Amino acid sequence: MKFRCVMIDAGPMREFSNIVATISKLSKECVLRVTAEQLYFIVCDENNGPTPPVLWCEIPQALFFSEYQMVGLDDEHKDIYLEVISVNLAKSLVTLKSAKSLKMKLTKKQCPCITLEIESPSATSQQMRHVTHDIPVIVIPRMRWSEFNEPKIPYPDISIELPPLKQLRTTIDRMRAMASEVVIRASAEGRLTLQIRTDMAKVSTRFKGLTVEAFGGPIEHSDSETETQINEDMSRICTCRVDAKKFSLFLSADQIAHNRTVCSVVHKKLVILCLQTQENVKIQCFISGIVY
Amino acid sequence: MKCHVPGANVKVLGRTVHALARFGDELYLESLADCILLRTLNAAESAYAMVKFNKNFFSYFNYNYYSTDDNEGLKCKISMKSALNTFKSPTHMDKQVENLEIKLDAEACKLIFQLKCKHGIVKTHYVSILDSKAMQAVYTKDSVPNRITSPQRILSEALSNFQQSDDQVTLEATEQSLVLRNYVDLNIEFTKVIRSQITLKPAEFDSYTIGEETTITFTLKEFKALLGFAEALNLPLQLHFETTGRPAVFIVHNGSTFEAHFVLATSKPDSATQATSTQNTTKAERSKRKDKSVQDSVRKKPHLETDTSKCLDEDSHLFNFIDIPEDENIPTENGNDTKLNNVRNTIDDINCVDITNNSQAMDCDNIPPSPTSKKIIKSIFKRCFESTFDPRAIQGVVLVENSDSE
Repeated sequence: MKFRCVMIDAGPMREFSNIVATISKLSKECVLRVTAEQLYFIVCDENNGPTPPVLWCEIPQALFFSEYQMVGLDDEHKDIYLEVISVNLAKSLVTLKSAKSLKMKLTKKQCPCITLEIESPSATSQQMRHVTHDIPVIVIPRMRWSEFNEPKIPYPDISIELPPLKQLRTTIDRMRAMASEVVIRASAEGRLTLQIRTDMAKVSTRFKGLTVEAFGGPIEHSDSETETQINEDMSRICTCRVDAKKFSLFLSADQIAHNRTVCSVVHKKLVILCLQTQENVKIQCFISGIVY
Repeated sequence: MKCHVPGANVKVLGRTVHALARFGDELYLESLADCILLRTLNAAESAYAMVKFNKNFFSYFNYNYYSTDDNEGLKCKISMKSALNTFKSPTHMDKQVENLEIKLDAEACKLIFQLKCKHGIVKTHYVSILDSKAMQAVYTKDSVPNRITSPQRILSEALSNFQQSDDQVTLEATEQSLVLRNYVDLNIEFTKVIRSQITLKPAEFDSYTIGEETTITFTLKEFKALLGFAEALNLPLQLHFETTGRPAVFIVHNGSTFEAHFVLATSKPDSATQATSTQNTTKAERSKRKDKSVQDSVRKKPHLETDTSKCLDEDSHLFNFIDIPEDENIPTENGNDTKLNNVRNTIDDINCVDITNNSQAMDCDNIPPSPTSKKIIKSIFKRCFESTFDPRAIQGVVLVENSDSE
């Protein structure tokens, strides 16, 4: 097993640091999967044992790294799966924003480690400063690899563009202070509604004029929970109730420079938030719906 | 003693008190004929700080204000908390305070700080004097082989690469580079800790002299405090150090009005690597080394002298190497808790075990170290395993002095 890569461009380094920082906010631990083409960060729900991942992040190596070498487990299994404490990685990469180069490699020093060698210019002189971090990792044995397969997603009923994440985040954070669950309602007409309900009040925020990327046909509303808005065609509205905190956590990804964010909803089952950047990094967050 | 501190210098004094507060819980103030000294010592007696304010730091300085015959100089000990209260926000102090008057009477039981602020506001702090003794550590800073003068920012920038949870730093000084490393305690599971290392080139420093290449380990908490002090006052930091086990002295001064010395005890590097290296040495070498270390400890003893006052008793171990604790029974007070005695006994036991282990290792080279319960023992008796630990420090602490002086 071998893994070694080098990053020398400021843009990707900043991006990489932001991505890891976002992941570290979402979860204490994450899995780094190294393949010949891509790096994957995978977060599984900590409490529920082997469940499908809640976060799936793909980083194409060609655009990020100037050098990239890896040798997998053996000829048949060409990947490497590492379990990392995401905060450790994030903290060590904080200085990357001002760094000149990053060398990342898999080493064995007392225990398996990801060694980060960061070269950064000194603020006071022309000299280069070399910082080395050894972050302990756990190499995941092959028998556990299947836990980190890409989740099979049911075909979403609707995929709608999200409003600017910062705006959405302030809204959600206000709502989160009042209630723990938020109902997301997306209509085929390009409306996204966030709604909470407390004993005292019902608060909803509507975003209009969003691009609908896909709509999978009429939705059947079987129960009384969805309140009809008289002038709307209910068959074109898809809803899902999710944990407000989880939703808000994903929105902290707004620090990653992105060019597309899409919210896909499987009616009453699942919300998939997907963020894509210019460098083709794809971060997907899966939030399962709460059904009473 | 009575003195006036002008507004701009109040900020410096405030910063000083805040830096010292990160070291110890008590502040010793001593007034001499031409200067005022502030000192503190941390609870573990591994870090000491002394700041000297010369006469010209003050706008008015009368050492003999209360006209006593005593020429020894006034000394007092106050609690750090009350000192901090007086200097609550050093950043804004220079804007609010116009003048600070400090008064210390040999007869009084209060130290008086009077802050004359803008708009005629006068704040007076009467700080209780806990003791009228002073304390002093003796250390060498002039005849050391290794000296580095660093611009204030460089080291704190370097430390920003470490994690918040790191508590000790190892400094490896060679002629080519200065390597800072976070010190990883052996007791902590190494699969959890990030090991970081920063290499600084000598060119980054104002001056860089390494006469004797060495590796020293000291605490980060106090180091950060003194770096913050140097940074706040925008003054360069001088590092004076010898080898492992000898104190490292950090000096911040502005040349004329004040000089601050921060002294940190340094400990041996990783005891594991040491242990493996000692296993291979021959008997003769070992006994030689033992002799040497005994000599060392004898020689180093006067290294720290106590002042006329006995604030640090003879058994103070500040910055000294204590190899094997002597089997002496410290006279305990009658009313002593039996529990406490028990604890002491266990500590003694452990030390004994340690010693026997050593002697076993001397006889035969390949005996593996005796198994120690990794977690519990080490966390409870952690300090016993530290190389510079002296059990007498625990026994020697006198919480209440004998009221009867027999």
